[in-house]
Amino acid sequence: MDQAPEAGEFMLADLGGPVREALFPSTPVGDGFDTVVPPGHGATRLLPGATVDMLGPLGRGFRLAPTGYPIARLLLIAGAESLPLLGPLFQAAPSVVLVVEAATRAQLPPPNRFPPTVELTLVTRDGSAGYLGPLEAEGAAPAGLERAHTRLVELVAWAERICVAHDPSRYPALAALVKRVRLQPHADLAQAIVRVPMPCGAGVCDVCRVATPRGERRACVDGPVFDLLDFLPE
Amino acid sequence: MIELAPNHKYGLAIDVPLMPASGAFGYGDAYGDLVDISGLGAIVTNPISLQPRQATQGRRIAVHEDSFVVHTGWPNPGARRVIRDYGATWERLTVPVIVHLLANHTSEVARAAALFSAVPNVRAIELGFTAAASRKRAVELVTAAAVEGDLPVIAQIPFDRVDDLAPYLARQGVDALTLTAPPRAVLPVDENGEDPGVARFGRGRLYGRALFPLLLNTLSRWAVKLPVPVIACGGIASPDDALACLTLGAAAVQVDALLWRDPSLLDRIARALAKPRAAYPAVTHLLSPNEPETEENV
Ligand code: FES
Repeated sequence: MDQAPEAGEFMLADLGGPVREALFPSTPVGDGFDTVVPPGHGATRLLPGATVDMLGPLGRGFRLAPTGYPIARLLLIAGAESLPLLGPLFQAAPSVVLVVEAATRAQLPPPNRFPPTVELTLVTRDGSAGYLGPLEAEGAAPAGLERAHTRLVELVAWAERICVAHDPSRYPALAALVKRVRLQPHADLAQAIVRVPMPCGAGVCDVCRVATPRGERRACVDGPVFDLLDFLPE
Repeated sequence: MIELAPNHKYGLAIDVPLMPASGAFGYGDAYGDLVDISGLGAIVTNPISLQPRQATQGRRIAVHEDSFVVHTGWPNPGARRVIRDYGATWERLTVPVIVHLLANHTSEVARAAALFSAVPNVRAIELGFTAAASRKRAVELVTAAAVEGDLPVIAQIPFDRVDDLAPYLARQGVDALTLTAPPRAVLPVDENGEDPGVARFGRGRLYGRALFPLLLNTLSRWAVKLPVPVIACGGIASPDDALACLTLGAAAVQVDALLWRDPSLLDRIARALAKPRAAYPAVTHLLSPNEPETEENV
């Protein structure tokens, strides 16, 4: 591999099926990368040492310092199942806060999985651990629980960059939250990754089209990382 | 030099009998350095409508073993926008551009054909029909494109309409035929980690190696009988596949969505087809191309 993918970029791997599959880096390793795939994924059938033909890196990844000016405060927001997509960013700034949301406690990752420099904020939608979700829900919490929303507003105000990997159906509400807190957010202040099948990776097949209030985009060439505000309801 | 529209006043001459199929290659520049376009005979654009079209919502691909179905609704920015975005690129190409039009309404096809005929290096129109298009409708659409566009018209025949439409359109003056468009199919969705135990299905255009023997069957029955050139399309995945199609009478081949897995396939086929014809490997016929199909030999 000539070049490893950066956070949010992907490789198209030939895993023996009739179309290639996108692999996203979860951790950079030397010249390569670790990736996390769901159980049953084609990559799980590879034998150790197997050679895999890959195209890439492809796509627009997370853009942390497009002007070359490094950032100091990075906020990461992830749904538990999408968390590996943010893995390469865990040490991308001196100060990183990671907000992880899961349906319930058992789906939260163990805290020892993260570098000690990452400040964790855990959220469950049933209130079984950490803050009470959903992230964007406001209003009073039941006794003994604290809403995640209040904490999230503080973190959005604090961050120099916000990178999100979650269920895209949540992006309009998260975009609205960022817009409320930051009033005039600059382009790419908040970025969100969309993970969809990308069989061609070249902008040809239209399988990866993502509907946004500002029109359709192709995840493979226009994304898969988009400005979160692209999802802001009109 | 291969002439794909011998009866048309301008003709459609190509150097290499090879092109990507509509929907497999975008509008010409998507694969960049991965494909040497100058080694192809032509490019065929993604399907284009007069007005912009949005993508279908929901799952657009289902993969099952060696096959996959795709259902996108053929989203595209509309004829005028495509011309604005890609016209200059097409003009620079050293191979002809064949514009694939979604053939739904005669008035739209006529207007789109007229627009594209004014774009430099657009040298033919390929029409894609709905599977339900009647013969009469298909002829109207071909006529609309031919009259308003003034370019050779290639009809891409729906998979299960070859016997019905191909000879009819050939007699009615279409310049060439693409056999065939991908068949419609339903595939179970491989779980791939998603909701195991929940049976789900995808419907759409079918792609995969399994189409190739069906293509050869179609070619063996029709390619040399039809009075116009035939462009073979469906499941071609190697230089030998392409050579087999030419040996069975196809004038050229189109490589469909199988090139997404291996974009270098086009270059490899192009190199093989650039060899002199005498060097083509022999293909053993199970059926003579001219042998009539009967109950016994089907
Ligand atoms: S993966 Fe084919 S257009 Fe994006």
